[in-house]
Amino acid sequence: MTDRLHNAGTQVHLAVSGASCASCVRTIEQALLSVEGVTTAHMNLADSVATAGGQADPDSLAKAVSSAGYSAHVLEDPDTAQDNKDAEDKARYRTLLIKMTVSLGLGIALMVWGMGFGGMMVTPANQLTWLVLGGLTLVVMIFTGGHFYSGAWKAFRHHNANMDTLIALGTGTAWLYSMVVTIIPGALPEMARHVYFEASAMIIGLINLGQALELRAKGKTSEAVKRLLDLRAKTARVIRDGEEQDLPVEQVRKGDHIRVRPGEKLPVDGVIAEGETRIDESMLTGEPMPVSKKPGDDVSAGTLNTHGAIIYEATRVGSETALAQIIRLVKKAQGSKPEIGRLADRISSVFVPSVMLIAVLTALVWYNVGPGPEIVHMMVAATTVLIIACPCALGLATPMSVMVGVGKAAEYGALIRQGDALQAAGKLSLVILDKTGTITEGHPAVTHVHAVSGDQHRLLCLAAGLEQHSEHPLAEAIVTQAREENASPDAVEQFEALNGQGVQGTFNGTVVRLGNRRWLEAAGIDLSVLADEAETIARQAGTPLFLAEGDRALGVIGVADAIKADSAAAIRRLHDAGVRVMMVTGDVETTARAIAEKTGIDDFRSSVLPEDKARIVEEMRQQGYVVAMVGDGINDAPALAAADVGFAIGTGTDVAIESASITLMRGSLHGVPDAIEISRATIRNIHQNLFGAFIYNTLGIPIAAGVLYPVWGILMSPILAGAAMSLSSVTVVTNANRLRLFKTTLPKGGNP
Amino acid sequence: MTSLMVNFGGLVLMAAIVAWFWWPGSSKNQADNSEPSQHHH
Repeated sequence: MTDRLHNAGTQVHLAVSGASCASCVRTIEQALLSVEGVTTAHMNLADSVATAGGQADPDSLAKAVSSAGYSAHVLEDPDTAQDNKDAEDKARYRTLLIKMTVSLGLGIALMVWGMGFGGMMVTPANQLTWLVLGGLTLVVMIFTGGHFYSGAWKAFRHHNANMDTLIALGTGTAWLYSMVVTIIPGALPEMARHVYFEASAMIIGLINLGQALELRAKGKTSEAVKRLLDLRAKTARVIRDGEEQDLPVEQVRKGDHIRVRPGEKLPVDGVIAEGETRIDESMLTGEPMPVSKKPGDDVSAGTLNTHGAIIYEATRVGSETALAQIIRLVKKAQGSKPEIGRLADRISSVFVPSVMLIAVLTALVWYNVGPGPEIVHMMVAATTVLIIACPCALGLATPMSVMVGVGKAAEYGALIRQGDALQAAGKLSLVILDKTGTITEGHPAVTHVHAVSGDQHRLLCLAAGLEQHSEHPLAEAIVTQAREENASPDAVEQFEALNGQGVQGTFNGTVVRLGNRRWLEAAGIDLSVLADEAETIARQAGTPLFLAEGDRALGVIGVADAIKADSAAAIRRLHDAGVRVMMVTGDVETTARAIAEKTGIDDFRSSVLPEDKARIVEEMRQQGYVVAMVGDGINDAPALAAADVGFAIGTGTDVAIESASITLMRGSLHGVPDAIEISRATIRNIHQNLFGAFIYNTLGIPIAAGVLYPVWGILMSPILAGAAMSLSSVTVVTNANRLRLFKTTLPKGGNP
Repeated sequence: MTSLMVNFGGLVLMAAIVAWFWWPGSSKNQADNSEPSQHHH
């Protein structure tokens, strides 16, 4: 896994500032693609990071983006860049607030002055005053809105147009017109000698305000990643040459021995060398119960040692740790675009030039058929069209929701690889489950203990006494069960394992045997009293193991690959979501049927060879289902790839993340309905956002152009258009943030 | 006379916008290798 992630390291990440809308995204991606060696380019508006894949010089990439009208610098380490970005965002937020205050201050002052001193009309008496005020407005416009003008100019030079273009044209037109009125009032009819300096200042102020609010809301959406970043320990207590020292985590090397005391976070991945403990892995896996760990077990960076002191050997450090990979994965997915988002990009690339055409057309119509003073009306209507049409809400609609949705899924232990998987998961109509390790625990456990005498505790003590000498997985299950029930193993002597039959030994001088029916019956033991119980075990997909002392049958123990406690509940949730559930297994039909009945699975295929799973997935897709395959990610890789959405399920962190589009960090099947519900909520949210943004623009433009004027005499003011435009992006961002409150139907007691 | 000039000017402006942003030779379309035939069939 690590190698593969390193190969992806030919990607260069750039922090881009000045990008504000869907058109900018396109411009930046095109600028990156035009650099030699770049094969893929992707700009994420939600966190302002552009990623270029291929073999290109990072500096030339930054230069390409700069020449397209944005400032960019190369992010050396995207994992640690978050802190820098936070500081940058804070500074930018402050700057925007200052600029907003200055420009709004001037705008409001001009309005008040105009209202108090005979309006905004230019007369010979106030001509000089207006000239000074016009100059002041220009200074304020350049100081508080300079980034719009330079952005618009750079985009223009590249035959592009974006949100900056519209703002620059709108405010520029208003200012220029006012200046003409002020300098040569005689050139215009008396009615038309109105100045609009306050409009230019107010619009810039309002858009700065909108961007400031947006910036703040954006910060909140990346909380999922921040929370993961916060899991990293800053220091590690490393034992080198027999000496313990606290070192910054960056200095920990592979092979170092690290001491971790109870209550401390683990700084890197490793293997326990000394000590036993329980470790809370919930931050990585969503699994709420701390997991027992003993020497030889793997542990992960970012998890919490809750119990004992341990010493462990570092195996993966720095960006190789599971935590670092998860962070990388979540960030990548958060930045990816689902299909639906690409539609918005395509539309907005032709949108801005179209708006410019509409603005000119509007002006002409007002000039030719509008009421007097024509020149004022045509200027106001054209300016308002330019201002209200800014497609910034459109550009934010998808990435904001994807960012929140992917983060939300990560909270539930579901790691989504790309935005496409997020979109597809919402449309699923059939979920195919692998049996072993997916529906079941994947390792045998005791399901039944039946003693003829009724003393099950006694039975377990004896069985454990025999099996503690054995290495067989079934033996392990029995010993574990005995330990859990505090049944101390009896002192069995002369232990002997008979392959394929069972184990035997002597206890208090009598021969005791534990094994299958055929072997015990061959030894002359009558098992008929246990026949019913054994039949029950078999029907429930278990293996019955009989225990006898001498020639007397003592009881039967059922060992099975137990169905996970929450599998049935998770399958019920899938049904509630309107999804059909199917199981594929290599087991014989009786076992498969028993499991299907127990868990409420609609359909199953038994005796399936691993290589046939992909074929079944394909077959169901051809029947018209949108298919998810849930498997362990290694044996099932072809089936996972063949499905519309592949879920790799794994307990702990040893999952093959790259084999599936969604990885469930927690071993529970609940992750599947969680992902489906989150995905549906996210897509719904995107639809709301896109709908809102489209409606806003489709309604806003004609109103701004003045279609309401012939009926009601309403002509929107450019200031109102500026406010409405800012409001629309704030609304989209707020709606996306609403998704953070989303809760799946995961029953209580689960996590989170 | 003024009216004619304003209308003519508007039309020229619109033609300029189309030419600048949509003309086949503009750099935007050259870089746009994802949908090369979008604006000029």
